[in-house]
Amino acid sequence: MLIADHLKFAYPPLGPDLPATEALREVTFSLQTGESLAVMGASGSGKSTLCHVLAGLAPRYTSGDISGAVSAAGYNVLAQMPPTGAVGLLFQDAATQLFNPTVEDEVAWGLEALGIPSQRIGAQVEEALGRFGLLNVRARSPWALSGGQQKRLALAAVWAMRPRVLLLDEPLGGLDPQGRAEVLTTLSTLHYSGVTLLLTTFRPEAAALAPTTLVLTDGAASPPAPTADVLRDEARLVEAGILYPPHLWPSLAARSAPSSAPAITVQDLHFAYTDGYAALHGVNVDIPQGQFVAVIGPNGAGKSTLLRHFNGLLRPTRGKVYVQGQDAARRSTGDLARDVGFLFQRPEQQLFAATVYEEVAFGVRRLHLADVEGRVERALARFDLTGLAQKPPSILSYGAQRAVTLASLAALDTPILALDEPAVGIDGREWARLLAWLAERRAAGVTLIIVTHEMELAARADRVVALADGRVVADGTPDEVLSRPTEVPR
Amino acid sequence: MSVALDFYVYRDSWLHRLDPRVKLWGMLLAFIAAFLLPYLWAQGVFLLGLHLLLLINHIPWAVLRRLWRQMALLMVLILVLQPFFVPAGTVLIALGPLRLTVGGIVGAALLAVRALVIAFIVGALLFTTDQRALVQAFVRLGLPYTWGLTFSLTLRFLPAIQQLFVTVREAQAARGWVAEGNLFRRFRDYLPVLVAVIIGTLRMSDRLTLALAARGLASGAPRTVWRDLRMRTTDWVTFAVITLAFGLLLVSR
Repeated sequence: MLIADHLKFAYPPLGPDLPATEALREVTFSLQTGESLAVMGASGSGKSTLCHVLAGLAPRYTSGDISGAVSAAGYNVLAQMPPTGAVGLLFQDAATQLFNPTVEDEVAWGLEALGIPSQRIGAQVEEALGRFGLLNVRARSPWALSGGQQKRLALAAVWAMRPRVLLLDEPLGGLDPQGRAEVLTTLSTLHYSGVTLLLTTFRPEAAALAPTTLVLTDGAASPPAPTADVLRDEARLVEAGILYPPHLWPSLAARSAPSSAPAITVQDLHFAYTDGYAALHGVNVDIPQGQFVAVIGPNGAGKSTLLRHFNGLLRPTRGKVYVQGQDAARRSTGDLARDVGFLFQRPEQQLFAATVYEEVAFGVRRLHLADVEGRVERALARFDLTGLAQKPPSILSYGAQRAVTLASLAALDTPILALDEPAVGIDGREWARLLAWLAERRAAGVTLIIVTHEMELAARADRVVALADGRVVADGTPDEVLSRPTEVPR
Repeated sequence: MSVALDFYVYRDSWLHRLDPRVKLWGMLLAFIAAFLLPYLWAQGVFLLGLHLLLLINHIPWAVLRRLWRQMALLMVLILVLQPFFVPAGTVLIALGPLRLTVGGIVGAALLAVRALVIAFIVGALLFTTDQRALVQAFVRLGLPYTWGLTFSLTLRFLPAIQQLFVTVREAQAARGWVAEGNLFRRFRDYLPVLVAVIIGTLRMSDRLTLALAARGLASGAPRTVWRDLRMRTTDWVTFAVITLAFGLLLVSR
C-alpha cells in the first residue's frame, strides 16, 4: 500500500556556487494495507521531504532530483500524481494549510474537490468534526483556534477525504503538552479505520503509536524495527539528535547564591490588551540578580504577557516594573535591550538581515556596544557559525537558523535572559545546544527567566512562579510548587 | 488581529439569510440612489433607514458605533475643509481668499452624510454576509472559482503578513532598535524588515501551494458545492421590491 524503494532525493542548489542539498540518501520500507510506521528523526533529517515525496508533491511542485521507486495506494507516485483523496498529508505547519473562513468550510473544501454530491457533504463534515472533537468550534475561524485545535482541524480536513494512505508530518510538532495530549488522543484511534499510516516525529510518545519505527539520520533510513526496541536504545536516539533526556542535562545552578539586589521587580502589575482582554490582574514578583525563575501555568494564564513587560514590549496598564532597579516606564524597549536579552517563540521566523554576520551584529551595533567585531566573532564561534557568516540566514537549515538566533542573543551579553517557551518544537540536538549555553550563562551569574510548559525544566529552577488567570497562584521552590499539582493547573 | 479583515457579525436574521446576490444587487442600487439624492434631509432619512435595517437584523449597536468612530475623522475633515473648497451663496465670514458660505456648509454636510450612507451600505453587506457566501455569490455571477479562491486567500493571509511584520519588528526592538532619525533613515531601517516579510510571505505561499495541491485543487476534476446558493421566494420578492423602489425613485426625480 505504501512502498519506498532505494529512494533518493536532492533539492536543487540554492546558489550558483552551492552544492545540491541531499535531503534523502537511502530510504527503503514497505507497508501493507492497515499497517503503521513511525519515522523518527531530528530536524533537518529529511522527514518532511519524505512525506512530500510520498504524497507526490516533491519534486512535482518543488523541483529537485529523485531516484528509486515510490508507490502509494497502488499508484506509481513518481510517474503520476495519485488522484485526489487517495493519499492524505497532514503538513508540519498546520496553520498554513488552513485557508477557509470557518472550521466546517475547511473540512468541506476537500470533499467539494472530490466532487462528492453536495447533499452528502454535510453528514461527512459532521462525522469528521465529531471524531476530532471540533463540533463546538465549527463556526469559528480556523485562525482563532489553539495550536492543538488547528492540528486536529487539519487532520479532520484530511481524514474526511477518506484517504487510503495517511501521512502525518510531525503531528505533535510545535505544540505545548496540552495540545500534544489532545492530538495524541485522537491519533490513537486512527488505525481502527483501516488506513495505512506513516507518521514522522522526534517524540517517543508519537512513535509509540506505530508498531514499527525507522530512524532517519541526515536522510539515510535505518531498516524498520519494532518501536519498543528502537525506543529502548536511548543512546542511539541521542546520537541521532532526536532525544535529550533529562538525566543528561547540564546543571543550571549558579556558582554563587543570588545577590540581594533586584534584577526585576514587578509591583501590582495589571495589563489589558487594546481589545479589552485583561491578561494580568495585580502581579507581584521580586527576582533577585542571579536567580533562575521558571514561570509556569496553563495557556492564557498571562505568562508571555508578563515576560513581555520585562523588556518593554508591553507597558503596564497599571502598576510598575523595575529592571535592574530602574523604572522600566522611563526606558524605551531599545534601551531595555541592554539589560534584558529576549528569546521569542519560534525565533527562526524573525531573522531579517542579509547575512548571518549582520544578523548577529544588529543588536551590538544598535546598542553601540564596544568591540563589535570581537563580540560577533565570539558569538559565531560559540555556535559553530563562523563558516556561515556571509550566508543569508534564510537559506540555512532549521537547526542553523536556531543557532543564529542564539548567537544574536549571546553577542549582547545581557545580565538578564528572558526566554518564552524555548522548548516548543525543538529536537534533542537543539535542546542540548540551548541548555549547554544556558548552563554557561548561569555559571557567569546571569539572571534567567523562562516561561515553560516543561516540568522537567521548571524542576531545575531556583524558583517556580505559577500563574493562572493573570494572577500568581504559587511562588516558591520547585519542590514546594510542583508537588501540588492540584493547585497548579498545567 | 488575525481576523481584522472579517467584518461578519455571526447572527441569524432575515438580512443574514438573504441571498448574497440579492444583497449585492441591493448594494449597487443603493449606491446609485445615494449619489442621485440631492437633498440633505433625504440622505438623512436614508441613513436612519440603514440604521433601522441593521438594528432590526440583530446587528448590535456597538458594531454601528464602531463604524461611526471609524468614519469620524473623515467626517471632520469633510465638514472643516469642504466649505472652503466649494463656496456658494451667502458669505458668512471672509478671511482673505477663504470664504465661509451657507451653500458651502450645506454642500459639506450633504457630502458628509453621503459618505456615511455609503459606509453603512457596505456595512449592511459585510456585517451580514460571511466570506464564503460572498465568494460564492461572485462565482455564481460568473467569476471563475479560482478568482473567488484567490480573493479568500488574500483576505486570509493579509493579517498573517501583518503579523509577520509585527513579529520581525518586535525582534528588532528586543535587540535595541529605537525609532529615531529622519524619515529617510527610518525608511532605511524598515527595508530589512520588508525583506524578511517578503521572504516569509514567499515561504507561506510555497507551503500553501503544496497544501492546495495535496487537497486536490490542481486535479482539474469538477468541484461540487456544499450549501450552494439557491434563490428562495423571499429572495425573489426582495429582489422585486428593491428594484421597484429604485424605479420609483428614478421616476420621481
